[in-house]
Amino acid sequence: MIRFENVSKVYDPNIVGLKDVSVQIERGEFAFLVGHSGSGKSTFIRLLLKEFEPTKGSITVAGRNLGRMRRAAVPHHRRNIGCVFQDFKLLPNRSVAENVAYSLRVTGQPPRSIRRKVPEILQLVGLGEKMSNLPDELSAGEQQRVSVARAFVNHPSLLVADEPTGNLDPDTSVGIMQLLYRINRTGTTVLMATHDREMVDKMRKRVIALEEGSVIRDEDKGLYR
Amino acid sequence: MKFRFFVGEAVDSLVRNWVMSVAAIVTVLVSMFVLGIGAFIFVNLQNATSGVRSKLEIEVFIRNTASPDQISQLGDQIKAMPEVRSVNFVSKEEAMNRLRESMKGHEDVLDALSGNPLPPSYEIYLKDPSQIDGVAGRFYNNPIVDNDTGTHNGVRTGGETTDRVLQVTHYILIGGAGFVALLAVASILLISNTIRLSIFARRREVEIMRLVGATNWFIRWPFIMEGVFTGLVGATGAMVLFLLVQNFFVDKIINEMPFLGADTVPTFWLLLFIIIGGGLLGSLGSGLALRRFLKI
Repeated sequence: MIRFENVSKVYDPNIVGLKDVSVQIERGEFAFLVGHSGSGKSTFIRLLLKEFEPTKGSITVAGRNLGRMRRAAVPHHRRNIGCVFQDFKLLPNRSVAENVAYSLRVTGQPPRSIRRKVPEILQLVGLGEKMSNLPDELSAGEQQRVSVARAFVNHPSLLVADEPTGNLDPDTSVGIMQLLYRINRTGTTVLMATHDREMVDKMRKRVIALEEGSVIRDEDKGLYR
Repeated sequence: MKFRFFVGEAVDSLVRNWVMSVAAIVTVLVSMFVLGIGAFIFVNLQNATSGVRSKLEIEVFIRNTASPDQISQLGDQIKAMPEVRSVNFVSKEEAMNRLRESMKGHEDVLDALSGNPLPPSYEIYLKDPSQIDGVAGRFYNNPIVDNDTGTHNGVRTGGETTDRVLQVTHYILIGGAGFVALLAVASILLISNTIRLSIFARRREVEIMRLVGATNWFIRWPFIMEGVFTGLVGATGAMVLFLLVQNFFVDKIINEMPFLGADTVPTFWLLLFIIIGGGLLGSLGSGLALRRFLKI
């Protein structure tokens, strides 16, 4: 699903984001990306989304080499990747349902399928009752569920989460993790960057540890350590 | 569906930072209005000059002291010249009648005159306008032609007036074009700044659109439409203002002072031009803002 081959990313001026990283994540896998702030987790994710190019090496996502991808194809590439962030990235002046619908509308989906999909996915994340609320009226955990719903509504083959539990208390985090786990069970590859030691240790999934831009550890059923 | 989405987003932005939008709209309005007025003046001066040209080529004024014999002798001389196509004698009375005609409604001014001060004249039309100067020169030293001593102001050629009017037209055209260009630049910059603000106001939307894979053009369209709207609304305002001015003032001028020979501009083309101009200013302004401020 994801293949990094000797990928390095150097930001100007000489700040190393990633250093010679080679990683392969299979379709349907659940993997944690762990490490301190500045260890390269976000660089890894942004490279996946082709927000910028690696300085060296090649990246393949869902069988497509990002280096050879035309600019015009990038939006379509991103439609295949659901994204969840620490700060939710919801539109504050739109209701929960409109927030989810927005991402469908801007990718040109017909209104009929939007009207069908939005309630369906919100039921799935347990927010069927709060569709017409504004994000401000929801708890942090519920807001993150909205953002997961938005990321998954198109059933992308890859779901990327950058510190999705970073702003949540432990109990709420468990709920979000369960949601991601269920999504993974549908066959979706899930890659989650996190600081959350407890969660990583509990899940016993693959752990890829980064430090100063290099992979220092990559083990199945790993621990945070 | 898509179109409605774009329009909705654009209108939303317009309303949200309406102060900047109004500033941009007013600038477009003023620049397009000045363009309209400029076109109006230009068209009229053009009409005036071409009128003068066809109206008359050489006018020879005759001293009031000249005898009828001398006058008809001069007429024969003129007719005998090979360059002359036709010649027309204007008596004192006819000159007065013409003046009366052109000042219809204000004849009382003329009634105040004691007697008729207008000289009789010959109007000479040539076969080839380029010979004006040569033919006119033959009357400079003629004793019965009403030249003040040392000058030849009793001979008037159409060319002089035409040249002067053409020169003025030229300056007005250059000045007007410069002014319109300045205003157009101001409009583009103001629209671009408006769009910049709305890009900033909607940076979250833009970020989310990028993340979920909206195409670049899908992200750009609402902003472009906002700019074009701004331009079109301004242009529409300019149109309305221009039509009002034309109806209230120009028609008045045409009716009250027919001797000016003012005329309305061919409205359809001018309005079409104004609308297209407004739309163009808008799209240039938003294009500029998108290039500089929307990173996709």
